[in-house]
Amino acid sequence: MSASNHFERILRWYPPNWRAHYGPGLVALLEDTYGENPVPLRIRASLARAGTVERAREVGVLGETTSSNDRLRVGSQLVLCGWSLFVIAGAIFAKFTEHWNVATPAAHRTLASIGDSAVQWAGVVSAITVLVAALFVFPVVVRLVRAQGWTSIRRPVRRNALAVGSVAAFIAGLTLWAHRMSFHQRNGGTIGYTIGFLVTGVVALVAIATATSTAVTVTRELDFSRRMLRLLSSLALGLTVLMGVIVAGVALWWASEAIYAPHFLANNIGNGFISTSNTLPPALVVAGALMLLGLSSAFAGSLRVLGGLKKT
Amino acid sequence: MAKRTTATKSELGRQSEPALLILTSLASGEKHGYALAKDVEAFSGVTLGPGTLYGAISRLEERGLIAPVPSDDRRQPYKITSSGRTALASAVRDMRALADEGAARLRLRVLALRLQSRHLVTGLTR
Repeated sequence: MSASNHFERILRWYPPNWRAHYGPGLVALLEDTYGENPVPLRIRASLARAGTVERAREVGVLGETTSSNDRLRVGSQLVLCGWSLFVIAGAIFAKFTEHWNVATPAAHRTLASIGDSAVQWAGVVSAITVLVAALFVFPVVVRLVRAQGWTSIRRPVRRNALAVGSVAAFIAGLTLWAHRMSFHQRNGGTIGYTIGFLVTGVVALVAIATATSTAVTVTRELDFSRRMLRLLSSLALGLTVLMGVIVAGVALWWASEAIYAPHFLANNIGNGFISTSNTLPPALVVAGALMLLGLSSAFAGSLRVLGGLKKT
Repeated sequence: MAKRTTATKSELGRQSEPALLILTSLASGEKHGYALAKDVEAFSGVTLGPGTLYGAISRLEERGLIAPVPSDDRRQPYKITSSGRTALASAVRDMRALADEGAARLRLRVLALRLQSRHLVTGLTR
């Protein structure tokens, strides 16, 4: 590999448009500075960070020069990405907490019940919020397809249809299989079913990631009016609040169970999850981490939205 | 003064230090990336990494404070624009005002003397 190619490879962190404009100059600078010597790790790391920042600026996640409409659009997209992490975390939480009330003394169920109900209600309302947003976006997608044809969004939509179709097939297959099994077989008693369950989980994860990526790609192509952007951004702000409620609900449920029914968290046998001897079961830790990550993304998006709403 | 400093900072962006160093370097003539980095290091002692340097260059160009100079060489030279000169002059005025104020409050003799002589000259020319 020539020195020039080697330097160009280091710049792969930067977005293509940026590389086309500044790449040759930056490569020349690296050649002049390091010649045939290897580029130090510290400089590589600094270029990776700078390239990532440029990518974030290009899509409008960072930067002060971004237009107000782009801020609203990108902010809402960040909130949606955060929510997709909540879908995964919520599924783990829902599976983990199955039958928690049976394992918890009746006198100590109140707090956990409030937490669990908050998670369920906020989860349902957040799903409705996303559906409402999708309904608002749908006519704009139709307008784009009528004006420009499928070309601009064909690939992501096709990829999404494949992912959703696959997950639907896996779930249907698993459900049919589960109907012919006993409770014990369904809950860790049959290795084949457990593997099938895990594979379905992975396929569902891929489908959620694909759906989110499709939503982001497609909405980037759409020409929203300012009014529509304000509406979608308001829904995004509401979604962030609901995610906050979900996190608070999970924390309340978890804390209450850790105090009053630690055996449920520690010996959570019967629903297929790995058991531990403490009050930090891996499944809940993963769900909690995903929720915090999602909430951070939603907060960052909401700040971007608020900045866009203020800017005229 | 506070208002003017804020205005200058927003003109130069959040990372105003590398931007100021680059504008200062280009004020004495057009330079390409490597020459810029070396010049900045020579007059300020600050080593700008390639990522930081080109991040600041792209931001300055976006704001119209510097512009690329057409060149056949693989090295891309840049020059300061008139808006860039204005932004740099404004930033220099702010820094001078801050330095003068700091020197006066710290009672730094040499700087205070310079301040006095400048006031004298200003008084004589009025």
